[in-house]
Amino acid sequence: MTETVNVPAPLGAPPVGDALLDVRNLKTHFHVLDGIVPAVDGVSFSLGAGQTLGIVGESGSGKSVTALTIMRLLDIPPAEIVEGEVWFDGREILSMPIDKMRRIRGNDIAMIFQEPLTSLNPVFTIGDQIAEQVELHKKVKRREAWDRAIESLRLVGIPLPERRVKQYPHEMSGGMRQRVMIAMALSCEPKLLIADEPTTALDVTIQAQILELLKTIQDRTDSALLLITHDLGVVAEMVDNVIVMYAGQIVEQGTANEVLLNPKAPYTMGLLESIPTVEKRGGRLSVITGTVPNPFNLPPACRFEPRCPYAWDLCRQVAPELAPVRGSDQLARCHLHTPAGDSRLPAALERHTSAMRLGQGHSDQ
Amino acid sequence: MSQEIKSGPVPDVAVADIERRKQEAGDPDYEVGLESLSQWQLAWRKFRKHNLALIGLGLLGALLLIAILGPILLPFSFSNVTRPDVIVSQGRGPSLAHPFGETGGLQRDVLTLVVNGARTSLFIGFSSMAIGVIIGTVVGAIAGFIGGFLDNFLMRIVDVMLSLPILFVILVFSKFFGQGSALIIVIIFGLFSWMGVSRLVRSLFLSIREREFVEAARAVGVTDRRIIFRHILPNALSPIIVAASLIIAGNIISEAFVSFLGFGVGPETPTWGNILSQARTFIPQGNWWWPFFSGSAIIITVLAVNFVGDGLRDAFDPRSRA
Amino acid sequence: MTKYIVRRAIQAIPVLIGITIVVYAILLSAPGGPQAKFANNPRMTNDQKAAFMRAWGLDQPIPIQYCRWMGICNPDAEGLAIIGPTGWPNFLPEAISGSSNGLLHADFGFSITSGQSVGERIGQAALPTFILAFFALIIWIGSAILIGVYSAIKRYSWFDQISTIFSYIGFAMPTFWLGIMLIYIFGVSGILPVSGMVDIRNSPAFGNDAYWVYFGQHPVNAILDVAKHLILPVFTLVVVNIAGDSRFVRASMIDALSQDYVRTAKAKGLPGRSVTFKHALRNALLPVVTNIGLEIPFLFTGAIVTETIFSWPGIGKLTIDATTQFDYPVLMGVLLITSLIVVFANLFADVAYAVVDPRIKY
Repeated sequence: MTETVNVPAPLGAPPVGDALLDVRNLKTHFHVLDGIVPAVDGVSFSLGAGQTLGIVGESGSGKSVTALTIMRLLDIPPAEIVEGEVWFDGREILSMPIDKMRRIRGNDIAMIFQEPLTSLNPVFTIGDQIAEQVELHKKVKRREAWDRAIESLRLVGIPLPERRVKQYPHEMSGGMRQRVMIAMALSCEPKLLIADEPTTALDVTIQAQILELLKTIQDRTDSALLLITHDLGVVAEMVDNVIVMYAGQIVEQGTANEVLLNPKAPYTMGLLESIPTVEKRGGRLSVITGTVPNPFNLPPACRFEPRCPYAWDLCRQVAPELAPVRGSDQLARCHLHTPAGDSRLPAALERHTSAMRLGQGHSDQ
Repeated sequence: MSQEIKSGPVPDVAVADIERRKQEAGDPDYEVGLESLSQWQLAWRKFRKHNLALIGLGLLGALLLIAILGPILLPFSFSNVTRPDVIVSQGRGPSLAHPFGETGGLQRDVLTLVVNGARTSLFIGFSSMAIGVIIGTVVGAIAGFIGGFLDNFLMRIVDVMLSLPILFVILVFSKFFGQGSALIIVIIFGLFSWMGVSRLVRSLFLSIREREFVEAARAVGVTDRRIIFRHILPNALSPIIVAASLIIAGNIISEAFVSFLGFGVGPETPTWGNILSQARTFIPQGNWWWPFFSGSAIIITVLAVNFVGDGLRDAFDPRSRA
Repeated sequence: MTKYIVRRAIQAIPVLIGITIVVYAILLSAPGGPQAKFANNPRMTNDQKAAFMRAWGLDQPIPIQYCRWMGICNPDAEGLAIIGPTGWPNFLPEAISGSSNGLLHADFGFSITSGQSVGERIGQAALPTFILAFFALIIWIGSAILIGVYSAIKRYSWFDQISTIFSYIGFAMPTFWLGIMLIYIFGVSGILPVSGMVDIRNSPAFGNDAYWVYFGQHPVNAILDVAKHLILPVFTLVVVNIAGDSRFVRASMIDALSQDYVRTAKAKGLPGRSVTFKHALRNALLPVVTNIGLEIPFLFTGAIVTETIFSWPGIGKLTIDATTQFDYPVLMGVLLITSLIVVFANLFADVAYAVVDPRIKY
């Protein structure tokens, strides 16, 4: 469990402007028995105070690993931060000594995890678990820490917090435990909140409540929110900007409106097309054929190429870069939006539009 | 390059199935057409990866060979004492002629003693395990399958037997009924080794009994006996094998204990235990090689059995990767 | 909580009754029975043998012998007499029933070898065993936890590898072999004492009245003396247990460290020490507590051989002597007491777990 960091001193300067979090070309690889898994392979984005960024992708796309890398919660022997910098609040945190990083964790950046049922320690009361964090970071006495714990429970809408605070995690439902996790994360008033699939393990109705809660709190405290999810519906509701990840890379980046209404990358298009709607009733469900690539055996050029309905020879030879798309602020990693793909772009967009309407999608290739 | 998969809607179930079989075969670019491995082949594959388990298996094989062939091949016979009229307090230490040294007292070759002892000790260890496993499986199967009052009654008996301090009871039994015979010791040990296995088998039967395929088999008219033998027992074999390896190790040590105290096998038949018991009286005069090598034989055997047991446990665990 | 304990205790009663039956059955079914001692003795006449049998109640049918032994039947009356001298049922306390025989009145009978009351005899042997077991327990639990936790934290370090090897070998070792080798190494060279509890050249034998007088006069010497004699037996007794348990603690600790709540603790910014020792260790020790409770009985069985090798005058040695001498009452008493200890150790393990783990509902 050593936490030595082998990342060289930061090359760049702190970001200009008001970016609270600035991730630059982050690469995290895992060394496993069968080889190296490039879980995060060159990810860059930034996030300002009060903003919400959504990271969307399937399991294995690298979105959780990105968050864990930012928090430096990865076990360094199997994991390796190969390259990249993360600037938070004017400081580069990947090369920081670990004890300084610990002062940021839970204090300035807080994280909420996916599994509320197992993320709380079963042998301590929730009051204990919240208070210890407050005591540590805010240097207050036990009594006051407990009061603050009760306050945070109240903040997340848990009724009778004075009673709940003395209970153990197993005495609460999943939804309530997730609220406790959120309360714990907020207890030290962090500037950045990272939520890794906070609602995936919960019922749909509870999901809505939790998301509502997150939004309210964000408005109130003006903290930035990094929301990781695989659910496009959540993205639509909650976020300002979106990043779509596939096989460790960003394939599309832009505002929520742009990405969801005018997707530029074929992968995003495929995701949106596969959402069943009332209009498509009666037709065949469309899917993105194929499966996520084997990390040890990635396609040589474009990683989405084997599953892409618009692919052609170039896609097998040259890996596309993440580049701005003409006519908008979006970034997309696809040859269609480069001069080489000019001829094919209109047809592709046409197909996508009709697929969105009629629902035939990729099935009649 | 990744597999070319036919386009067109692929049912999710089929996709999941393909993925699973890929995992099982361990090869990422696996062709869907091949058969997957049987449970036993899979287990053997996993077992082979454990260096320690293989060493253990090798050691056990060697020990068995030594036990069976040793007494025949060694120049010194166990009962043949070279100079019965001379009794020394300290035998000679390890030398070329006597690699494990000579004993005090009648100056017997320690290597011969250890090899002869191997026969009886291993015999006791393995046979008592066999008895224990058989009894345990039968009791557990009856309790688990029939259930109800019989189940309760049998499990109470198990509780009582587990509450008795086993070693104490074995000592008493061996003293009273043993009469120094290895065979009786085997039976006594067997009678006290079955409890763990019975609980194991019982829980297996309980869990499997409720499963749908048993109901289905019953509905078609398969008799109860067939259900037990064809459907349930094969699943039960793996945990029983693991438990059996632990019983062997335990019983070898127990036999050593019991014989050491003089309650087990008589002095005419050497076991590692009673060799140590004789050695003990000569300790003040030296003779460290006498108990040292005899005891080491026990340690090596038990280590080997434990290694194999660990390897087996991992090999049969469905969650471990091949 | 008390209700839970009482409930579990009541559940243990059928098991205890079963134990008494089994123990009684074992001993009385041995070939010959207590009178076997005299079976081949040519100097005892048949009359003397018959008198012996009558005196010990051995001429009664077995169920009645069992009944009297338990204290349910009145020994002075004929047959299955459940009523005591005062007219109340026999098994009630002496004040009410007038009867004081049998287990239910804590009467274990008398030793055939020495004539001493079994209770007294066992009591004499209990203190030495208790001293041995007490120190063994502390060292065993302490070492297992220390070694196991440190191995888990520094996985694959040289400490971990060495302790793993040590565990495997230690676990495969018969305790008495270790004892013998230790006697050779330390005893023959005279570094440590290998026999008894006290240095008989300087002090009276442990336990008798003269000893306590001596103890009062030279308490420090006496304690040091016993301590020196304790070293080898305790070490022999615990090595095997430490070997097994340290691996168990290690596995439990590794499991706890891989749990999600440890990740949460780190994400909160807690220092490493707090994460490991407050969050993970507390959880890791839960199954360890139960495990130790269940292994306490093995401490006693291990004590048999250890006490024999080191001539420690405890219950283990008593068992061996009684078995060799066919002293049934003593033997039965010892078996019962140790079974009782096993049952209570199990009970303790259950209760301890319920206390320590807030998830357990009772």
